[in-house]
Amino acid sequence: MTDATSPIDSLGELMRAAQQGDGASYLELLRTITPRIRQVIRRQRGFAGIAEVEDLVQDVLLSVHTVRATYDPARPFVPWVLAIVRYRLVDGARRYARIARREIHVDEEDVTFSEPATNDDIGEPEDAAALQAAVRALPEGQRQAIELLKLKELSLKEAAEVSGTSVGALKVATHRAMATLRRTLGKRRE
Amino acid sequence: MNTNDLIEDLARGLEPSAPLSRPGRRAAAWLLGAAVYLSLIVVGISVFKVRAPGAGAGLWVSQIAAVVMGLLASRAAFVSVVPGLPKGSRVWAVLAALVWLGTLVAASPPDFDWAAVLGASHEWVCVGFIIVGGAPLMWVLAAMLRRGAPLSPATTAAFAALAVGALANVGACLSLPHANSAVTFAWHGGVVVALVLVAALTGRLVFGWSRRSPPTASGAT
Repeated sequence: MTDATSPIDSLGELMRAAQQGDGASYLELLRTITPRIRQVIRRQRGFAGIAEVEDLVQDVLLSVHTVRATYDPARPFVPWVLAIVRYRLVDGARRYARIARREIHVDEEDVTFSEPATNDDIGEPEDAAALQAAVRALPEGQRQAIELLKLKELSLKEAAEVSGTSVGALKVATHRAMATLRRTLGKRRE
Repeated sequence: MNTNDLIEDLARGLEPSAPLSRPGRRAAAWLLGAAVYLSLIVVGISVFKVRAPGAGAGLWVSQIAAVVMGLLASRAAFVSVVPGLPKGSRVWAVLAALVWLGTLVAASPPDFDWAAVLGASHEWVCVGFIIVGGAPLMWVLAAMLRRGAPLSPATTAAFAALAVGALANVGACLSLPHANSAVTFAWHGGVVVALVLVAALTGRLVFGWSRRSPPTASGAT
């Protein structure tokens, strides 16, 4: 993780300044180390997709931020950050294994209801217009999440690649968008 | 959120975060507090119960070994929460634990009866002393360790428990009478090993990333 443009000492200097609250130095430091972190993660997790790599990169950056007080300015910076990357990769692998063990894949099945009253999604034409208007009124990130996941029916991974956001962020945006739509359309019905 | 936005967010809300003291210094601070706390307990028990522990060279050698074990184990715990430091301190702590157990075995009578040793029901007082007396030490140590990086919570918790067990064992040995070192080996050694195992299994609950305290600008220990 070293080259002529960012020698070890300069990274250490930037971190030292960041520990004193210098946001500009911190920004420069994170921008410098992020491509290197991404490179290390890609090398270690060759099978991971773009979104998963970005998730791990963001995990590492958040960890670096959380434990920045543990950096000793008298010691080199690179071993410090590489140790965090290594441990977070192990945590990520454990988390993945845990989730894979618990999840059961279920094929999507059509659901029908015998009573028309329960088929709430069979609405009047104006409901569709109201829905479109409500979607248009959503904040940019939430609208994009709804369009990609619910209207274009992309998978989370595909939607993350298209939007350039992480799977986690998309999930949050979708959840919030659905809550907003529910509120907006609920008010209209009342 | 994409990564560039995250970076900008992190840098925008940056607050000063004073570097933690070196692990050795943090371990020394904790040991000093632990020594004062245990001394008060030992003196308190001596005053109220007036029961002198069995003296002898063996007793003091094993206590010194236990104190060294506590020192090295606490240092290993503090080192384990700093990314990028060598792991040699873990080896030293484990070696110290083996030496401590070795001193107890060496000081044991050659013809001791295992059934009698394991049936020494008065040793439950020591078990209680080590667990209850050690709890505040563990609480303080855990609070200090949580300011570090939770890289390997099980390891951190195990060494923390070893350190606490070592010092609480010294407190128990100095304030309560023991028939011989074989009893101490079986009961104290057993409790310390059990504490280490329980801590290793539950360490993630205390030291996991989700439990990590946010960094602050104040205080370096």
